[in-house]
Amino acid sequence: MTNTRPGTFVVHTATFEGPLDQLLRLAQQGQVDLQTLPLADIAADYLAHARRDFDVDDVTETIWMLAALIELKARALLPQPPPPEEPPVDDAGDLEELLEERLAAYRAFKDVATALRALEAYQQRVFLRPPDEPDEPLLSGVALTDLFRAFQEVLARGRERGAEIPPEGITVADRMAAVLALLAAHPDGVPFDALFPPEASRLEIVVTFLALLELIRLLRVRVMQEARFGTIRIHARIPQEGRSGAEAG
Amino acid sequence: MTDPRIREAASAIECVLLVSGEPVRLDQLVEATQAPPEVVIAATELLQQEYADRGLEIQAVAGGYQLGTRPAYAEAVRRYLGAAGREPLSQAALETLAIVAYRQPITRPEIEALRGVRSEYILERLEERRLIKAVGRKQTVGRPILYGTTDAFLRYFGLRDLSDLPPIEAFGRGAPNAAAAGAPASTDSKP
Repeated sequence: MTNTRPGTFVVHTATFEGPLDQLLRLAQQGQVDLQTLPLADIAADYLAHARRDFDVDDVTETIWMLAALIELKARALLPQPPPPEEPPVDDAGDLEELLEERLAAYRAFKDVATALRALEAYQQRVFLRPPDEPDEPLLSGVALTDLFRAFQEVLARGRERGAEIPPEGITVADRMAAVLALLAAHPDGVPFDALFPPEASRLEIVVTFLALLELIRLLRVRVMQEARFGTIRIHARIPQEGRSGAEAG
Repeated sequence: MTDPRIREAASAIECVLLVSGEPVRLDQLVEATQAPPEVVIAATELLQQEYADRGLEIQAVAGGYQLGTRPAYAEAVRRYLGAAGREPLSQAALETLAIVAYRQPITRPEIEALRGVRSEYILERLEERRLIKAVGRKQTVGRPILYGTTDAFLRYFGLRDLSDLPPIEAFGRGAPNAAAAGAPASTDSKP
């Protein structure tokens, strides 16, 4: 937009006079000597202009354009980086060779992927006892919606008291440790509500819930619900010997 | 006539494999049966023969032996379990996994250079399924994470070890070090 409506900021420098967006476009096209363009003066002029005539949209756009100019100038002032560390390409023939090599590699990987697919299909028809770890019912009887419904109930309770800014940050890691400590003290598991002390703030509730989801994902806890809308219970999950070692190793 | 020591060890191994449900290494079988390694090896061979026409099979997987159901009877097992099979890997995930398997250890930028597309999401999913893991960091700018395959990867495809991977057409420096013995030597590879 180069049409100058009343109140539009106009750049006045020794080498350029006109609207800022035009200056930016010329700079992007390399038609402005950025080394000598006095960006600080332009910014100061604009600040004076904005004090007289303030429009949020206009200010936003102008700051963006000035930032773009600063970036362009910074690039122009910085020494040119050395050429990228590509394998030396002497001529077009070598480049072609390189591309062909890459294509050959890619084709070879596609071929072995097909062979691996056959092995996958075979192995998926082999059943072991006990089933692989990820097949274990970590969420037995619990649909995600049940978990969220329970969460909303707890959250609603937390909302009734005025929200407070806690004195220090509550982190997911801290809450994960707290949940695991609670579960360690209760080998028979705890009801869902027990994870959220009555004095918990909303932030604490939200972070604790995120910690619970993370523990489920990491296979550290088991979540069970015996009947629809029944109490949801959380148990620590005892890592199986050997298996977990093999996964980690 | 089978050596009674081998016959005895075979029965003990059969029991260990049943309760394990995952690959049991030779040294673990030696420890469990208290039989010498050569007897244990002979016993696993005997077991494999004996299971040849049974519903179960002994597989040599991920550096050990495991007792599993024969694929031919998978439908009966699935009907009983009432469970659909596990979701197979997507084509993109399988290709990415193949690149990691044959070129490990390898960084994400190197994988992306081969595939020509961003692969962050796929690598995260593969890591979550424990088929790959971070094995270190490359000593270059940014110290990018190096990825390698896991034991779960070998189990997923029923492979003994990395040399058991399907042979890949020789090109560049494609053959993984671990597979050097199994892979055809590439004479035309560039230094």
